[in-house]
Amino acid sequence: MRTSAVAGIVFANSNDNLLNRLTSLRSMASVPFGGRYRLVDFALSNLVNAGIANIGIITKENYHSLMDHVGSGVYWDLDRKNGGLYLLPPYATSEAKRYIGTVDALIGAQNYINRCGSDYIILYNSDTVANVDIPAAIESHVANQADVTVVYHKGGSPKNHKETMLLELSDNNRISKITFNTESQADVNYDIGITVLSRELLKKLVAEGYENDARSLNRDIFAKATGQLKIYGFEHKGFVAVMDSMSSYYRANMDLLKSDIRKDLFDKKRPVFTKTRDDMPTRYGTKSNVKNSFIADGCIIDGTVKNSILFRGVRVEKGAVVENCILMQETAVEKKANLKNVISDKNAVIGADMVLNGTENNCFFIEKNQIL
Amino acid sequence: MNSKKCVAMLLAGGQGSRLGVLTSKIAKPAVPYGGKYRIIDFPLSNCVNSGIDTVGILTQYKPLELNDYIGSGKPWDLDRLSGGVHVLPPYQGQQGGDWYKGTANAIYQNLEFIERYSPKYVLILSGDHIYKMDYSKMINEHAKSGAACTIAVLEVPIDEASRFGIMNTREDGTIYEFEEKPKNPKSNLASMGIYVFNWDVLKKYLTEDEAKKDSSNDFGKDVIPAMLAADELLRVYRFNDYWKDVGTVDSLWEANLDLLNPKIDLNLSDHNWRIYSRTTAMPPQYISENASVENSLVTDGCEVCGKLDYSVLFENVTVEDGAAVEYSLVMPGAVIKKGAQVRYSIVSENTVIEENAVVGADPAVVGADGWGITVIGAGLKVGKGAKIGPKKMLTEDVKEGEVI
Repeated sequence: MRTSAVAGIVFANSNDNLLNRLTSLRSMASVPFGGRYRLVDFALSNLVNAGIANIGIITKENYHSLMDHVGSGVYWDLDRKNGGLYLLPPYATSEAKRYIGTVDALIGAQNYINRCGSDYIILYNSDTVANVDIPAAIESHVANQADVTVVYHKGGSPKNHKETMLLELSDNNRISKITFNTESQADVNYDIGITVLSRELLKKLVAEGYENDARSLNRDIFAKATGQLKIYGFEHKGFVAVMDSMSSYYRANMDLLKSDIRKDLFDKKRPVFTKTRDDMPTRYGTKSNVKNSFIADGCIIDGTVKNSILFRGVRVEKGAVVENCILMQETAVEKKANLKNVISDKNAVIGADMVLNGTENNCFFIEKNQIL
Repeated sequence: MNSKKCVAMLLAGGQGSRLGVLTSKIAKPAVPYGGKYRIIDFPLSNCVNSGIDTVGILTQYKPLELNDYIGSGKPWDLDRLSGGVHVLPPYQGQQGGDWYKGTANAIYQNLEFIERYSPKYVLILSGDHIYKMDYSKMINEHAKSGAACTIAVLEVPIDEASRFGIMNTREDGTIYEFEEKPKNPKSNLASMGIYVFNWDVLKKYLTEDEAKKDSSNDFGKDVIPAMLAADELLRVYRFNDYWKDVGTVDSLWEANLDLLNPKIDLNLSDHNWRIYSRTTAMPPQYISENASVENSLVTDGCEVCGKLDYSVLFENVTVEDGAAVEYSLVMPGAVIKKGAQVRYSIVSENTVIEENAVVGADPAVVGADGWGITVIGAGLKVGKGAKIGPKKMLTEDVKEGEVI
């Protein structure tokens, strides 16, 4: 398949409200994850690793940090003459409004859709963390002569997700029925926010849907068309985490402490790219005591760190103890501070001797730039 | 072509034969350093941080990996519309061509490159040293002094001075004599191999030097003495911070461990003077439940389950359960398997140390006599339970149980 045959559209603000503590100043797409990443890195890397070099990111609000992160797209090899990365903010054209559902979001992006020239489009939600074999999904879409292919995972569905489709599949993986449920359900086939369809069909469905006041592509269009449209499922069997709450965000980060999950998510054949920061390697001092932790470059560790995720440039001073924590970029834990089940946003400072205790289901949260 | 105030020329063609197996496949400036850098990252980052955006890199020996590493110069912000980084290998002209005969000849062969930018000054650098230096201060001082050439110098202990090129100066900092490795040094000002020349003057001396049939076409041996003989004004520029020549196995090892010494002032996490490098997309490092990590540098892609002390792990290194790495450098992609012990050693890229092998030795245990750093070449396999003594340099695989 020629490289320009497929374009990607990433929704930057997918379910922003579910991680409200982390998204008050940023979009879902730019939520920090896994020590050195932003959520959008997984979407962009999956698409780029599939040879897709034409990607639009639809944004709604709070997209400053996202723009800062993706820049010209160079870190994903998306600074191209042909195609490349396009940020699609609201109000970009006189008719484009601040969207409510996916249909009007795509109406706002119609210039991009009209001009990108691809045969197929992959719609990608930014709240999904997975390393998906996108070329295989496209191949199955073509082989099935499908109108729409939905990438799904079998397992416990995310809660609070109004738009996540629960799929009933026939033997040949054609979807016979689509339902929705905001509670998490165990052992169902749920869509993980990645959809393949032809550009012409997308244009047609979006235009018709907009005329008929449809808001959601999933709920108002796909779910009602399982008879008329050939909608197929493509199963992603590997690791997947769909953000549905602060506690699922916490668990998904902690999952990275498991070797098999790291191997799956950071598959060496399909690397996850991100903006580089030119930090020095992490320095472990005398008496540093680190166990079962996932640590990015640029940290200086003189204290104890257990079962934790440390982002770039975190400092843990002598006598400090960090357990079951997620500490984001440039967090400083000063001497003899003691942290359990804490999530700190960027540049937080925890002063000497402070004791902070959260629980696994309710982590103590420290805001960006907050000094305690 | 826009003219530039200063063009930097980085001499990166040397083989670095004293590094033995470490430079058997790559040029010295491409040798890994400090967990995620190559030696050449230091002069390149210094250039960019000093506001110099036009850099020629003179390559000759084993240039493939170095060329690949430099690429478009993007990681150093040296992919510019005007200027930027240029790799300059020897080339053929109408009158034929030649290898670079010496450091001065390498610059002479690239007169045309420098002329394109009509610079006022040319900064000559080498790719063998670890240091952070603001070249703009040196260039400003050079410009103010009215000298034809300014040479950066470092004060070294007088009893070590005979290992260096020594500048003998008058009280006002002007140079009256240059001595290469003098037996009885008159001064302790060692040349750092960093020169600022007025381009018009350098061009004249390079052209004259080229015409001399018996010249070795070397800056230290030929060009500087010729300028001194002609009474040109040459001055020293004193540098007082960390600087290390990493031309030998011992000095490379030491310079890496210097990063772990809090008393040594080489801060690589200074946001105002970043050292840039080309990195690959590796996930963060994972330190396991059974690991013990102290006094060490570890970078992206590493998985550590064993014990680390006074060591530097480069990208993507694995240290398995029960393995110990002490006072050692483990270069990108190497694997230290279960129960293996690596002490006072350099393990090169993608080498595998199999289970329970023992590599290198602690001088406190085996005695200082005949002791030295052990170096294992790139892409090798040291078999299960093999024992490699101190001061060995391996270029071939070692069989299971073999003792060397």
